[in-house]
Amino acid sequence: MTFIFAAGVAILFGAGAYLVLKRDLIRLIAGMVLIGNAANLFIMSAALRRGSAAVLPFSGTFSDPMVQSMTLTAIVISFSTTALMLALTYRVYSSHDSMDLTQLALAEEAQAEQDEQDTGAGEPGAVPVDERVPALSGVRQEGGV
Amino acid sequence: MSLIALPLAILWFGGVILALLDGTERRFGWLAVGMLVAALGATGLLAQRVLDQGTQEMRLGNWDAGIGITLRVDALGITFALLSLTVLLCALLYETLEGIGARIFPALVLFMALGLTGLFFTGDAFNFYVFFEISMIAAYVMASYGETPRQFRAAFLFIVVNLLGSVLFLIAIAGTYHTTGWLDMEKIRTRMPLVAENPAILTATLIFVAFSIKLGLFPFHFWLPAVYTGTRPAVAAILSGALANIGSYGILRFGADLFPRELHEGGRVLIVLGAASVLYGGVQAVARHTPNEVLAYSAIGQVGYILIAIGIGGKAGYAAAILYTVLNALNKTLLFLSVNLRGWVIGAAFAVGAFSVAGVPPVSGFFGKLELFQLGVDDHRPWFVVLVFVGGMLSFAYMFELYRRRFWMPGEDGGTPRSQQVLVGMIALAIVLIGLMPEPLFQLTQHAASVLPEQLP
Repeated sequence: MTFIFAAGVAILFGAGAYLVLKRDLIRLIAGMVLIGNAANLFIMSAALRRGSAAVLPFSGTFSDPMVQSMTLTAIVISFSTTALMLALTYRVYSSHDSMDLTQLALAEEAQAEQDEQDTGAGEPGAVPVDERVPALSGVRQEGGV
Repeated sequence: MSLIALPLAILWFGGVILALLDGTERRFGWLAVGMLVAALGATGLLAQRVLDQGTQEMRLGNWDAGIGITLRVDALGITFALLSLTVLLCALLYETLEGIGARIFPALVLFMALGLTGLFFTGDAFNFYVFFEISMIAAYVMASYGETPRQFRAAFLFIVVNLLGSVLFLIAIAGTYHTTGWLDMEKIRTRMPLVAENPAILTATLIFVAFSIKLGLFPFHFWLPAVYTGTRPAVAAILSGALANIGSYGILRFGADLFPRELHEGGRVLIVLGAASVLYGGVQAVARHTPNEVLAYSAIGQVGYILIAIGIGGKAGYAAAILYTVLNALNKTLLFLSVNLRGWVIGAAFAVGAFSVAGVPPVSGFFGKLELFQLGVDDHRPWFVVLVFVGGMLSFAYMFELYRRRFWMPGEDGGTPRSQQVLVGMIALAIVLIGLMPEPLFQLTQHAASVLPEQLP
């Protein structure tokens, strides 16, 4: 029984991790859902004992109700975060026209370059590039003569 | 005992009410500020009682001991709660004065305050996870506040990375429950020495990784610069000043309090990662140009000190870690809020923050550095003293460079409302005052560190 649980957790987590490394946002979210479920299954398998439902009157051994309540809470939380992630994916899609991580990375790079130019141009001591180049070439010409 | 529930109740009902109202209207922004002030006041009263009478306890739903969820407030929790609520209040005031741009923002600030206060107050490991998720979900939504394409990208990265961290933490909680048989922190503490070494160290590692992601420590930091540069100043201040406290509190509570043996074994790892974080953050911050990016890497560097102090451990180490967390959170709040404004008050305030990060007297950051210095000398770790100096020099270099670029440049003056200038000036004044009268803060952090076990059981 322990082995089955361990194998289940491992497969879910592994499949989830594989999907998280994909470049498509929807697959990525599917991967997060699988990883969340791996955690839920792990909580269930952390039960201290197994048996019938923990409802009065008891007959024989009863299963640990604590892990069940924990898993229920964790399911609710992962449900809400999944909904939030999907909503955010929609906003990413509508603002970038793409759900591909490569496109998003390109947009991020362009933004970083833009930032660098904005702050670089404002440097008080910095000489604008187009003024600097002729001066340098002038020096080189003088040295050559 | 209902005083423990009072701040939580104010924040919870306040958050729900605000969620139904249009937060872009100025009066609802002020309503949120009022609720946060009320919660801060209630927490202050509770702090008074905790410091006078010791740890306060309350069992929810009047269940029997050992069955119901316990809220347990000690000096450590109350210090972090006061700090986080103060930071959130500053950021919310700033945003209200600026004009709130999203109807949900005030409610989100209150929900985050609820999550943070709850996790600092709880005495139950799983309840900690639930409050932790409440504050994280508020943070996920907040990261996209502003709604530009860049903020959506940042928010997506933030959610995916931090959700993975939360899942690891959840697995660690399940592991703790299975090995100790309890979720109540007090019971876990007594059972922990009986747990076999391997499961305990595995669980402790998972917890450490989960909190390092929140803290933005060196090998887990990759999400942090993208998020901090993308978001609005108030959100960056909230993330670095309030939300990052989860990381240092979590490592102190779970590491120093519940897993002291494992923390002791892993102390060297913490120190190495902390030192790497200080150097990496410092060097990267010097190399960057955008103000928010410099501050983001500075945040990575500053948490390194906290981690080293925890790794060295002992009462002095924990006290230094708590003191540094408090000062760092206040510095980052001031810097993130002031860096995008203009005016001479802002310039002066930013200079105060810059000196505080670099650790120049008489600003309060000096005492954080002094405490670390003292720790290095007392503990006979000369390399740590050198690291504090090198890190301080790096932070002086990048903070001054940033100051020069932002405030010595000819540019449009003014444009910043006077009220915002006053707010930022007040935060700077508070940081200077703490520097001039550090005694109360020292006492508070000593008190907070005294709840953590000093010796290995």
